[in-house]
Amino acid sequence: MHATRFVIVALLTAAAAPTLSAHHSFAAEFDVNKPVTLNGTVTRVEWGNPHIWVYLEVKDEHGVVQPWQCEGGAPNTLTRNGWSKDSLKPNSSITIDGFLAKDGSKTCNLRTVKLPDGRSVFAGSSAPDAPPPPKR
Amino acid sequence: MKRLAATLLVILAMTPLAGAFADGRQEYKPPAQQEYTPPTGPAPRTASGKVDFSGVWEKPYVPDMTRDGKGQKSEGDLPFTPWGEAEWKKYDAAEGDYTGACLPFGMTRSMNTPEPMQFMQSDKYLGFLFEQNSWFTVVPIDGRTHRDGIATWFGDSVGHWEGDTLVVDTVNFNGKTRLDTVGHPHSDQLHLTQRFSRPDLGHLTYEVIVDDPKTFTKPWKNVRTLTLRPDWEMMEYSCEENNKSLWEGRIKVPKYKP
Repeated sequence: MHATRFVIVALLTAAAAPTLSAHHSFAAEFDVNKPVTLNGTVTRVEWGNPHIWVYLEVKDEHGVVQPWQCEGGAPNTLTRNGWSKDSLKPNSSITIDGFLAKDGSKTCNLRTVKLPDGRSVFAGSSAPDAPPPPKR
Repeated sequence: MKRLAATLLVILAMTPLAGAFADGRQEYKPPAQQEYTPPTGPAPRTASGKVDFSGVWEKPYVPDMTRDGKGQKSEGDLPFTPWGEAEWKKYDAAEGDYTGACLPFGMTRSMNTPEPMQFMQSDKYLGFLFEQNSWFTVVPIDGRTHRDGIATWFGDSVGHWEGDTLVVDTVNFNGKTRLDTVGHPHSDQLHLTQRFSRPDLGHLTYEVIVDDPKTFTKPWKNVRTLTLRPDWEMMEYSCEENNKSLWEGRIKVPKYKP
């Protein structure tokens, strides 16, 4: 049983492996010091270059539903890795881990998108390649 | 128990991942990428006997040319001149990010991207087809000298053979690009030397030497290994198609002096 569990964990880890995008510098748009976790409902997915975008509705601390948008990887790389626009359907409940945009809008760079059962979709964002602290 | 684990791993290794979570949910499609083994054999040659680099190649992603990564070896900290050091220290991508604004990546950043590239080769030319932004550059490799044209984002490249190594020499850059994603600088005095060799069918050895006396006190280099992907086709990549980050003001266009 432990072996089975190990295999499943290993597969989930592989599924969560990041894909990469180099369209823009992470630091140009997002703040690596502002991680965010969003629990919400998917409204739509845009599957176009240079990045996919996941739109979702998230309840704020007052219970008011707020629209959010999160940037993912490049569709070409995601497609080569087996994902498609249909990998995440509208009305799906998801948890996104990512980083907030610097401009304070309800925008994030998604690091992971998880379904309620813990599986990840769209493993892909530029966050794993966020520039390291500059050597200055 | 170990035997059970090993058996399960073997079964899973032989099973397409698409079936690993066969629970009928249409919206879930697991990643297809797994360990890849390139084809083996000797490096192919053209009809005229030159090493043939044609094919679709997987490149290591190199966001920072001072750091080692999978398939890439750096030389560590860069030998900046005072001018180069100042350019590096003042760089802030949030003030202007030319690639985010869909301006041309330039030669080094195009070679650095995680997207694949295709080489198309004749006796006269080597075509660099970059998937990133569907950009290309065509390099004469018949021994001619540099053109005396206007400075450009990708510079002016010519190639020549040193035995089985193709050496591509590039000058006349416009100085508006950065060497890598983290923003290491260069000037319009940049002189790039890219050396291509093919130790076998499945691999390409790539060496890029950065020489820029305004920015660095001495030349430095990266050495990388590219992997042949006959199972891949190049895909269209429109940078402008849905560049929301630019339209919505989160990415800014750099202010270049005319």
